[in-house]
Amino acid sequence: MSQSQPDFTMDIYQNEYLPGGGRDVNAVVTVATAGTAAAAPAAETNSAEVIIIDCSGSMGAPQSKIAEARAATAAAVDVIRDGVAFAVIAGTKEAKAIFPEGGSLALADPQTRESAKKAVAGLRPGGGTAIGQWLRLAHQMFTSHPAQLRHAILLTDGKDQDETSDELGTAINLCEGVFSCDCRGVGTDWEVAELRRISTALLGTVDIVPDPAGLATDFSAMMVAAMGKQVADVSLRIWTPQHASTQFVKQVTPAVEDLTGRRVQSGPQIGDYPTGAWGTGESRDYHLCVQVAAPGAVGQEMLAARVSLVTASPSGPEVLGQGLVRAIWTDDEALSTRINKQVAHFTGQAELAQVIQEGLEARKQGDEDTATAKLGRAVALAQQSGNEDTAKLLAKVVNVVDAATGTVQLKKKVEDADEMALDTRSTKTVRTKK
Amino acid sequence: MAGIAGSASGVCFACGEPVGATDSFCETCGAELAPLSVSDGQSGGPRACESCPSSRISADGYCQACGRKARSGRDHQEVDLGMVAGVTDRGLRHHRNEDAMALATADTATGPAVVAVVCDGVSSSSHPDEASLAAVRTAARVLLAAVRKGADLLAASPVAVRAAAEAVARLAGPPGDPPAATFVSAVVAGEAATVCWLGDSRAYWLAAGPGSAAQQLTRDDSVAEEMVAAGLLSEADALASAQGHVLTRWIGADLSDPAPHVVRFEPPGPGALLLCSDGLWNYQPEAAKLAELALPAALTDPLGAVRTLVSFALDAGGMDNVTAVLALFPPAPPGPLPVPAGLT
Repeated sequence: MSQSQPDFTMDIYQNEYLPGGGRDVNAVVTVATAGTAAAAPAAETNSAEVIIIDCSGSMGAPQSKIAEARAATAAAVDVIRDGVAFAVIAGTKEAKAIFPEGGSLALADPQTRESAKKAVAGLRPGGGTAIGQWLRLAHQMFTSHPAQLRHAILLTDGKDQDETSDELGTAINLCEGVFSCDCRGVGTDWEVAELRRISTALLGTVDIVPDPAGLATDFSAMMVAAMGKQVADVSLRIWTPQHASTQFVKQVTPAVEDLTGRRVQSGPQIGDYPTGAWGTGESRDYHLCVQVAAPGAVGQEMLAARVSLVTASPSGPEVLGQGLVRAIWTDDEALSTRINKQVAHFTGQAELAQVIQEGLEARKQGDEDTATAKLGRAVALAQQSGNEDTAKLLAKVVNVVDAATGTVQLKKKVEDADEMALDTRSTKTVRTKK
Repeated sequence: MAGIAGSASGVCFACGEPVGATDSFCETCGAELAPLSVSDGQSGGPRACESCPSSRISADGYCQACGRKARSGRDHQEVDLGMVAGVTDRGLRHHRNEDAMALATADTATGPAVVAVVCDGVSSSSHPDEASLAAVRTAARVLLAAVRKGADLLAASPVAVRAAAEAVARLAGPPGDPPAATFVSAVVAGEAATVCWLGDSRAYWLAAGPGSAAQQLTRDDSVAEEMVAAGLLSEADALASAQGHVLTRWIGADLSDPAPHVVRFEPPGPGALLLCSDGLWNYQPEAAKLAELALPAALTDPLGAVRTLVSFALDAGGMDNVTAVLALFPPAPPGPLPVPAGLT
């Protein structure tokens, strides 16, 4: 615990001028940590890692799936630094601690890493899928150890078919705030919405690995990123005036995550929104919208929100940074109609993610008109904002006639993997063009 | 509220050693005995919320309940030096107070004297709030030194304006709109008031007794004034015209040699001198009406009368920053209410 934590900076971008009668105050909050990624690793005793591997029967078809999963897990284990507490879970209808046996965590060293890899090499497919059970075992392991930076990797290839949606939901609720979880789906037989439900609640990422051969690289990268985290449980703490309502708090970079429903009341007029763990050299943006109870008179100024970044420390909450979101009412239209560039950009990025998900859902339901309109809008937004990665993914699902106007035709035949990649990556955003 | 750091008690407020009644500086420790009172935001304004019942104001000046910006710093400042008092207020429509005032009293060989300066930063220039503050502080210093020495005030007033203009010019940052401000000063000493101005901040004489009429002592350097002077428009039409408030003279980096107006006015009887920015006179330009608002309270309670004037402007709309200063004539601490003649 002796490592110093990275320096946080917070910047607020907004147009503080509102027209007379205006009540909605928008701002983009940029939070960044100094240094380069993974420059200063966390104290080893403060980190814990659990790798959860789907071992259901379908992982044996084709056989390469389980083989690549074993190799990927071994590659991830190799990246775990000495002193980090870790474990590997094999998931079927039940969860089984395959290393260490007995449901606790082992401390990483050359010997334990070898033992873990040996146990992983013995994994055989067979049985069903109950992801909630896997999460429960991970929860039990993490809470048996004092480490605060808790991270899991979850790999599956199929649907969560051996438990109810409610059972999964209960397990997710149990784990929320206890550990973060990056989810990966291998192949195309799994549900994007199901894994997104887990990754969103557990402040992680979700992605598709269409070809099992790509698993090892992906697992190593996730583990390297996890090893770079240094500060656990950082929250945005937002004070708002009496009777004001926080319309939404969204992470908008690097990906869109709506945090609005994650509010934890931490005092009168104060709510905390979890942002998860932070390493060095990170930068994330948050879009905040506050509606004040009553507009001020022209010329008046009020504080619409005081945003601070807090983390738990032995001596109580520690404030890492602070910024003000202000409102000044003016009758000068030149001032009040100026939309902040950052706010406009991220409003567009959030809409981009939304229209992609709605468009794909409409396509699934056979509503081609809605799908064409939504995905066309997505193409236009991706083009305007310079989100090239998303534009490329869209081009695999629609034929782009004119990107600027969003004129598209649905492709008759779309690879499942392409559709799922677009769905999982729809929330990835870019920053404003310089 | 700025206090009076004077020598009235006969000892220096800083070191406690005896000082002469007309000394400007303590001969023992060098402290300035009657320093300027400047509306620089350092002395506090009200620290309670004006929009809700809360009195919890955060260190950065917002109400911790409703979030409204509490009036603080230069938003609302009051200075009471007895024989002269001033109030400056942000008004209701601007989010910053770009007016400034500097007041001082001095004990001179010819008796008590008052120095007062009011400047109104030009909103379309850069840093108008800093310009007005630098101007009042610099000019008041020059005038205070002059009145202490018994210098010719008709000559000293333009010198004070030039010094203020130089101080404003030094604020000029990158090219663009150089900082600028209006200017009005008054030194009340002995039998006369010396009034000096540039732009559209005004001085009025408010007569207390019968046989002496209230009158405006300054003539605006504005397009409106020029149109009226040329017989083109009535005063009301000129002020209402789009260009009416455009200044024709000001102090600022873009006007290298401002030629200020200076007049010496010998009041025919007791009364008060009013200096104000256009935030007040826009709502009441008539000298007689202003006198009705301020008198007779001004003779016994100058601060109370100034508050009345500023409240009048705020109640009328408060479209601009408002500053008003009342200086008693003859320059002496306010006395008890004069007893009406019929009751003696």
